[in-house]
Amino acid sequence: MTHTIRLRVNGKEHTVEVPSRRLLVDCLRYDLGLIGTKIGCSVGVCGACTVLMDGKLISSCLALAVFADGKDIVTVEGIALEDRLHTVQQAFIDYGGVQCGICTPGMVVAAKALLDENPDPTVDEIKEWIMGNLCRCTGYYKIIESIQGAARRMQLGDTDEGL
Amino acid sequence: MSYRTIGQPQGRVEGPAKVTGEAKYTADVLLPDMIWGKVLRSPLPHARIVSIDTREAEQMPGILAVLTARDLPDLLTGRVVYDMPVLAKDRVRFIGEKVAVVAAEDPDVAEDALTRIDVEYEEVPAVFDAHEAMESEAPLLHPDYRSYSHAPEKYFSDIPNVHSHVTWELGDVKKGFALAEEVFEHTFNAPSVHQGYLEPHASVVAIDPDGQINVWISNKMPVRARELLGDVIQIPQERIVVHLAQIGADFGGKGSLMDVPLCYHLAQRTGRPVKMVMTYTEELMAGNPRHPTTIFLRTGVTQDGKILARQAKVVFNSGAYAAFKPLYYVNIPGAREAAGVYGTPHVKIDAYSVYTNCVPGGHMRAPGDPQVNLAVESSMDMVAEALGIDRLEFRKRNLLKDGDAVPGGPPLKKVRVREVLEAAVNTSSWNRPKSQPNQGLGLAVSHRAIGIGEVSAQLTLEQDGTVQLITAVPEVGTGAHTLLQQIIAETLVLPVDQVRVETASEIFKSDSGSGGSRVTYVGGQVVQQAAVELKSLICAAAAEALGCQADEVVLEGGRCGLQNGSDGSLSLAEVAQKGGEGSPLRVKKSVKVSKSPQVTTFTAQVVELEVDRDTGKIRLLEVVTAHDVGTIINPLGHQGQIEGGVLQGVGQGLMEELKTEEGQVSTLNLGDYKLPNIRDIPPLTTVLVEEEVGPAPFHGKAIGESSITPIPAAIANAVYDAVGVRFYDLPITSEKVYEALQKQSASQGKKE
Repeated sequence: MTHTIRLRVNGKEHTVEVPSRRLLVDCLRYDLGLIGTKIGCSVGVCGACTVLMDGKLISSCLALAVFADGKDIVTVEGIALEDRLHTVQQAFIDYGGVQCGICTPGMVVAAKALLDENPDPTVDEIKEWIMGNLCRCTGYYKIIESIQGAARRMQLGDTDEGL
Repeated sequence: MSYRTIGQPQGRVEGPAKVTGEAKYTADVLLPDMIWGKVLRSPLPHARIVSIDTREAEQMPGILAVLTARDLPDLLTGRVVYDMPVLAKDRVRFIGEKVAVVAAEDPDVAEDALTRIDVEYEEVPAVFDAHEAMESEAPLLHPDYRSYSHAPEKYFSDIPNVHSHVTWELGDVKKGFALAEEVFEHTFNAPSVHQGYLEPHASVVAIDPDGQINVWISNKMPVRARELLGDVIQIPQERIVVHLAQIGADFGGKGSLMDVPLCYHLAQRTGRPVKMVMTYTEELMAGNPRHPTTIFLRTGVTQDGKILARQAKVVFNSGAYAAFKPLYYVNIPGAREAAGVYGTPHVKIDAYSVYTNCVPGGHMRAPGDPQVNLAVESSMDMVAEALGIDRLEFRKRNLLKDGDAVPGGPPLKKVRVREVLEAAVNTSSWNRPKSQPNQGLGLAVSHRAIGIGEVSAQLTLEQDGTVQLITAVPEVGTGAHTLLQQIIAETLVLPVDQVRVETASEIFKSDSGSGGSRVTYVGGQVVQQAAVELKSLICAAAAEALGCQADEVVLEGGRCGLQNGSDGSLSLAEVAQKGGEGSPLRVKKSVKVSKSPQVTTFTAQVVELEVDRDTGKIRLLEVVTAHDVGTIINPLGHQGQIEGGVLQGVGQGLMEELKTEEGQVSTLNLGDYKLPNIRDIPPLTTVLVEEEVGPAPFHGKAIGESSITPIPAAIANAVYDAVGVRFYDLPITSEKVYEALQKQSASQGKKE
């Protein structure tokens, strides 16, 4: 059985015909071509598929696409500004928070959501928030530095002073 | 030396693509009309296939093809030894072995069809333990091993199921033990762990109308992949193009063809491009994880603490196939480190790689090293205690020095193990008095050679004045492309962003790709040499335009000027347009290194931890990691390698285990297989003992496989120091510690 769903992704409206069992991550990747959201563990542990749904972080590998009907989704493709990277994205590059990059889309979405809610998080608050996003490359040290660096830069009005 | 670009922290060249989601990995390749393949895997560890009935699956709506071994050429595949069928033919040898493959437009439909394939098996006796597999009555997994392609005769063994027996020797071990005043024997075990990259293996094959076979694959050595694929599908390599995609990390595990041959056969059958993506469950049950290992050590010493002899028997449980092993001797190189960082005059190491009905093992970051280091460094503490010598002092009395040989390697030069050890100790709490009960300190030291192999590169001065590198080394996440970019920029005196990095594999005949601590050393050399040659071409072209001699031209900041400072200079774009008329200024090169450099690397790590006696939980209070390094090309990437490796070592020491019962992996998702998360990270201090002595360009060294190795042994030694319990196997989980402490207090109760 298929369903017609309407969802807004990164500010753009989409109407998609999906089978009942279609996962949101597959809908984003294959129906909408937004391949930035990754599939890692498929069981909601690794966080590679993290997106925002109505402002809340979810694992899109655990959500059915029909569940997103009428919802507002933000993926990694919706983070950058029109003419430049978002401060969080630039900080992940500058502070070494990116290595292989497979966790990065989920990390960037999660980190931006954290800073939107808490512009000056402590290391413990970062750990608490990022716990649901695994990274096998960095050992997380530079992910913490990236998020702290982004927070500093945002407070300083996005200069490079934070470096 | 001072450099412009070398030594500057450099954000990744592919960083913007990765943070925006534009970076394409193999699973992200979307082609028109693409269909999906899914495999049916064996539920039994060892069985004869009596029959396979695919009729019902074939008739399901949406199913485009169903293939079994009888539809494929009767060929085996592997990275060195060809011992693995693409689909099991008449026999399955492990739970998870591929038996049939299905293609459909919708992956869910393909998955459903797998349940409609009826396979009749007849179970035969299986063997799971490597030692049992070596006994005379054990079932033989590969009776025809000696006839397999590329099976190295030199390492054949008469022991059942041993497919490779390698011996490394120094001196005369018998004589060494005869001279020894005390002899100690210890046995240690380390289980299998998974590389834990978050990108499961993905494969895509599309066949063009003219017969060109396009391949996308999560593989770190694409040129070699083309060769191997050509062999197993019997197509000349020239018709195969392996396109490079981003790789969602490797850690040694992404060097095989995995599902590419199946994608090819499905594409051939259906006329459509085919994609296959393993689920993480398939990764955990049938990836190519680190080998479960048993290490027997025999150590002969004098009473004043000089090590005279070391005998080691290292047994690797190879699983059902040797196909994933990439070295010519089809064994695991870490066994060579069984004498550790200690100058031991008499050494004999025997490494056995043994077939069993378990998941076939592959390489993981520093293959064999953490397992063997657990044994070597734990035994150092134990022997020191037995001799009544301080464990640090015992190590210092035996450290390698210049001119000493290590088993299987050349005599060493510029050995700085003492400096590294002292740096780690002096930076840590080692010399401070012990403050709290149940807290302890542990130390471990490791050695690693810098890698060899062949790397190719092509450099072109483009019309717009940028320099284009084409490399067949994929970016597996280590920062290889950025490092190569920096070396080229430094050599050509260019801003880094004027060097563009692109990938292609089909223009090179041979290339070892990424891995084996090779890229900085071998890849660095080839791009440096190519850049030097390109510089000559640029200067010659500029000289012609400027009307001077080539040696009067100065290349700096992207402009060619005259040495004497006289007027007139050309931008690189102008040089390219003038000098490149007809054909562009271009250099294509390969560098092949077949001998390990005499300068190697050492790592010393100190762990301080606390054991909760009520729960057995270990809390890491401090990790100090010290490394002897050459010139660091990119400090950001270098430190990233150290930190990532440390946490993988912590995972292996405390939590990671691919648990297997009777050949069945029981940790089949990342909820059950525990990878360290951000709350598991210990406070970490890195000490870099720097000296410009490395063999790589600008005197660099290798770092990628260093920091993962000593941590498990350092943890084991610290646990002993904290609570007096010695662990001989990994991981040291809370449950094991709790149980051991219960036993300890029970036996202490008896004594009282």
